[in-house]
Amino acid sequence: MAWEEAAVAATESRVGSVLAAALLLPGVAIPAHAESAPEQGSVEVQALDYRDWQPGLQRIRVQAPSAHVLAPIGSRWSVEGSLVSDSVSGASPRHHTAVSGASRMSERRNAADAAVRHYGEREDWSLGAAYSNEHDYRSRTVSGTYSWSTEDNNRTWNIGLGHSGDTIGSSDDPSLHAHRLTWQATAGVTQVASAADLVQWSLGLNVGRGTFSDPYKFPDIRPDHRNQATSLLRWNHDLGALDAVVRLGWRFYGDSFGVRANTLDAAWVQSFGDRLQLTPSLRYTTQRAARFYVDPVYSASLGEPFPPGYDGQHPVSEDQRLSAFGALSAGLRVDVKLDARWRLDASVERYEQRGSWRLGGDGSPGLAPFSARWFQLGVACSF
Amino acid sequence: MAVMQFEHVGDDLRLRFEAMASRNEILVACHDEVRARAALDAARREVLRIEAKYSRYRPDSAVSRINAAAGSAERVEVDGETASLLEFAARLFELSGGLFDITTGPLRHAWDFRAGIEPGDEALERVLPLVGWSQVDWDGRSVRLPRKGMELDFGGIGKEYVADRAHAVLAQSGIGRGLVNLAGDLRVLGAPVTGRPWTIAIQHPRVADATCASVLLADGALATSGDYERYFVTPDGRRCCHILHPRSGRPVAHWQSISVIQPSCAAAGALATIAMLLGADALAFLHEQGAAYLAVDQAGCLHRHDIGQPTF
Repeated sequence: MAWEEAAVAATESRVGSVLAAALLLPGVAIPAHAESAPEQGSVEVQALDYRDWQPGLQRIRVQAPSAHVLAPIGSRWSVEGSLVSDSVSGASPRHHTAVSGASRMSERRNAADAAVRHYGEREDWSLGAAYSNEHDYRSRTVSGTYSWSTEDNNRTWNIGLGHSGDTIGSSDDPSLHAHRLTWQATAGVTQVASAADLVQWSLGLNVGRGTFSDPYKFPDIRPDHRNQATSLLRWNHDLGALDAVVRLGWRFYGDSFGVRANTLDAAWVQSFGDRLQLTPSLRYTTQRAARFYVDPVYSASLGEPFPPGYDGQHPVSEDQRLSAFGALSAGLRVDVKLDARWRLDASVERYEQRGSWRLGGDGSPGLAPFSARWFQLGVACSF
Repeated sequence: MAVMQFEHVGDDLRLRFEAMASRNEILVACHDEVRARAALDAARREVLRIEAKYSRYRPDSAVSRINAAAGSAERVEVDGETASLLEFAARLFELSGGLFDITTGPLRHAWDFRAGIEPGDEALERVLPLVGWSQVDWDGRSVRLPRKGMELDFGGIGKEYVADRAHAVLAQSGIGRGLVNLAGDLRVLGAPVTGRPWTIAIQHPRVADATCASVLLADGALATSGDYERYFVTPDGRRCCHILHPRSGRPVAHWQSISVIQPSCAAAGALATIAMLLGADALAFLHEQGAAYLAVDQAGCLHRHDIGQPTF
């Protein structure tokens, strides 16, 4: 119970009345800093290797080195920034899981973000900007966040607002200069439920206007607006005697395209002394298809890849990511603390997606299984 | 002079020192050793300041002045801090139905724990009239003990209050993560959302050097009241502990120990002591107060609510 609540409650009943009396003692109710400014700076370098494939087709490979820097400035401020450079290569299928006609591509994406954060007695705020550029796509985002904690630090609220402007081009169509604007709002609360339990709920709303069609997919005509909502509920439970933490999460996603997805994830964070931590994790997602996703049944007159009734105007997409499916992924992460300054982490994750694995409805038929895996290595140093 | 000792424990800096007749430790995250040492030393000085101010053994202490005037017509004016502690004591007396009483000092003279001698009824009847907060003449600024031989004793709230004060000193010194442990009464400093919690072991009430549970605490306080700190066993096998019932003058016997978690150590300590005095009604009271607890009954069975993992 928050201290202020306890003091109020004590005037009405006996709940917390001893605590309320104690809080009148000088210095006892002194607020601790909600989120204190980092006392140390850190530099972290990571390398990601991602690969996905379908039977008979190695699709995308992404290799992405990244760097993250966090530096405190005095006791109230910090700045942080990161740089990532993705090199993407592979086949970009134009519809469904078609192999023939898939163009080979090789791309580089550079992205950077930076934020400045101020830490107050019980609250902190930040302002940030992000920039991402590849030769046919550019995105700029500005954002702000604010969070504050109750006096006993048992509850933290946060809100955030962001705005992105994207420019979409295409190497297939040099005349394409499409735009998209998106507002993002988030709100959340984190509650310490007991000495061993942390519960977090957050809600995200995105309102987007502009071009959502994928210029590399054909046919692909999407509505000119997309509103998205995400609800995320997390529960971390500390199993003190086992030196382990269980992390459970449920994420709901829905958008105006008609996609609905539910994701359950579970991770077991096992510590072995102070230096080694192993985290196996499992995740399951079930997704309903977008309203305008079409199954691989093609127009009798035009043939593949045109769906029956194709008119070049009504929304239609054959993007596998908008189909109905179920997906399972399993991962393992290792964290090693070398000394007070140096940390290493390594993780591997394997992802499998099948139409038939959807729960609560039929999956999209006729799609090839989709598989992916990630390797990530990181090293971090505090200074 | 108290023994003072700094040492590195993992990423933390620890200061161990003796005060209030016990061994104490304070740990803080040590990113900046100069700041960490200064904060630890300031917290230790605060502990020693309060110990001196409320020590019954120092004739110049605030409490000794009050006790020395017992039975006279003199009202002893008190400072703001002492007034706050007396108000707290008055409120605890009221909330506990008269069980939590800082005037039980005279009972200790009847009980000789060192020699292990249980006083007879007659001896207790002589001192019981000197016990009772309701007799104390307290007007919010000055206090008078109406009978000669009456005593105030801040021992029941002092150590926990000191833990809260030392915590406040660490917070004021800009420390983001710390632990104040005054012989088992502790308060931690940290942000629960991002901070690593401290793992705190609870002393086993019957096995020295063993623990009966561990608790993770990222922010807040834990205090324990037990029958194992000062006690003796009578020839017919009864354990007499130092927690004395203010009406009978005799030791409590229902619980081996009770540990309570609260945002403040003063609240945790008071709740643990009141619960020990309440006997069979303790758990209902702790529920009513919305407190997390771990209680060990006379059979050694654990009773838990919102707290910790047993380690046996």
